[in-house]
Amino acid sequence: MTEFLGQNFSWMLDPLVLVRQTLAGISNGMMLFLISAGLSLIFGVQRILNFAHGTLFMMGSFVAVSLSSVLGDGGFPFLVILVVSMLVLAALGFLIEWVLLRRVYNAAHELQLLVTFALVFILGDVVKLIWGNEDRSMTAPSLLSGSSHLLGVTFPTYRLFLICSGVFVAAALWLLLHKTRWGILIRAASNDRLILGALGVNTRWLYSSVFALGAALSGLGGALAAPALSVGPGLHVQVIIDAFVVVVIGGMGSVVGAMIASLLVGVINAFGVLAFPDWSVVLTFALMAVILVFRPWGLFGSPE
Amino acid sequence: MKIKRLWFLFTLAFLVFIPWMLSDFWLYIAIEVLTFALYALSFNFLLGFGGMLSFGHAAFFGVGAYSAALFFKSSQMGVLSTFALVPLIAMMVSATVAMVVGYFSVRRSGIYFSMLTFAFQMLLYTVALKASWLTGGYDGTMGLKPSGILGQPSGYYFYALAMCVPCIYVLYRLVHSPYGLILRGLKDDPLRVQYLGINVRNHQWIAFIISATFAGLAGALFAFSTGNVFPSWLNWTASATPVLMAVLGGVHSFFGPALGALVYVVMEVIVTGQTQYWPLAMGVIILLLVYLLPMGLVGFFSKVKA
Repeated sequence: MTEFLGQNFSWMLDPLVLVRQTLAGISNGMMLFLISAGLSLIFGVQRILNFAHGTLFMMGSFVAVSLSSVLGDGGFPFLVILVVSMLVLAALGFLIEWVLLRRVYNAAHELQLLVTFALVFILGDVVKLIWGNEDRSMTAPSLLSGSSHLLGVTFPTYRLFLICSGVFVAAALWLLLHKTRWGILIRAASNDRLILGALGVNTRWLYSSVFALGAALSGLGGALAAPALSVGPGLHVQVIIDAFVVVVIGGMGSVVGAMIASLLVGVINAFGVLAFPDWSVVLTFALMAVILVFRPWGLFGSPE
Repeated sequence: MKIKRLWFLFTLAFLVFIPWMLSDFWLYIAIEVLTFALYALSFNFLLGFGGMLSFGHAAFFGVGAYSAALFFKSSQMGVLSTFALVPLIAMMVSATVAMVVGYFSVRRSGIYFSMLTFAFQMLLYTVALKASWLTGGYDGTMGLKPSGILGQPSGYYFYALAMCVPCIYVLYRLVHSPYGLILRGLKDDPLRVQYLGINVRNHQWIAFIISATFAGLAGALFAFSTGNVFPSWLNWTASATPVLMAVLGGVHSFFGPALGALVYVVMEVIVTGQTQYWPLAMGVIILLLVYLLPMGLVGFFSKVKA
């Protein structure tokens, strides 16, 4: 009974394969979370679907690659790389919101869509102009290179580090959103931004800061993921699609939903690749469509 | 009304004489303009008149192109009878796919409608990419040049013209029919239209199918003018094209998107002749458009006149 639809399913009985794929799925899921958390936050507050979010992630990766070629692969320089990539993208995000996005919050949906598409095209070509057309790679810091033994399988240490950093970022984000005044305002804005403005909160600054925060998260995600990816100018086209799938499944605007959906999609993909090598991608889009049909606010969002 | 009819006739006569005015290179550009005009008009039938923003319209353009290409490749008939059937096949397949996609999509409104069309587009894109036995996979389907008179640029131009003009006329009549009036009412206030006893979902569903049908025909016509179909035609980055053409021309006028298609295609030809960074140029054009001409060219000119 290990054959089904012409595929071999004998791996299902092998606990080592199950552990390895689960770990791979979780570490991919953590990368997805770093992109989709910001995308979800921005949608929650600004109600804009930011197609350029994947492009910001890609820029984070490229900034990290460039910095690492200067700073080397030490442990402390790696921290510097993460922080700088995050700050560069936060600044870029702030600029984009300040100059472009704030003028279209009340415009028709098609104009908002066109602006984020324009950013995809412009930033995509800017990346090509700065970093060229070739794929780059970044070596993981020497502390985290090599592989470790865990639950009986050998697994790349850097991927374990990705899982840990995903948990760390999620915890930090949760504290930020629930324990600081800024975070409480962000959550209030995604509930009802009109009332928030009426209560005397400076929503202009809030919007700019949320977009900068989202961009910073994707910059950090890009930098963290860079050693695990091959960083090329076409990276963003796929990344944003994965992030959209996650955000739709988790619920647009929900960070907790983004976390759980990221892990779900990551693990589904890891096993889907084994089960249906060619068709696992279709599986996630089908899941996305099913969610949109039956529960458009996602697993963890709330209906409007 | 009289003046409008004169304008139609004048434009039509102009379009008929185009092959004698342009070189072969520009004649193919003219074919591209024609097909993209049909594409943009069919997209705007949904957006400008139905108030439904499809993020995934490239899917139907691509489905039409692929189905026509497959039919062409497997057809045992002569060129002329094959090309008599090509538009029918493309439109039927697109309409069938749109029935399914539309059935689910129109049940959601606003951003959720857009996301659903987007999800279905990505599904179809993956199918085009992965079903390589059918579509040629990553490399696409090539060698779609018709032989005989339709292989001539002017012959194919007249063929495309004979296909596009009646379809555009049908769209025009639909917009100005009682059905189109209800559709426009739905855009402004679905609830009120529902209170008039009209089945809102069915109305939107039909509009969706009509729009996708003509988009599919446009895709098929374009496929035989370039000679190939690529899966990237269905990718999400391709879905910006009809939105841009519609907004560029003006979503509130019927013929605006056709003007948008003309300007877009000619700009693309000029810019790609100068530099490989067409996306960068297009991004800048989009930003200028959104911030300086949000009502499109037609909106701008009617404001200048008034």
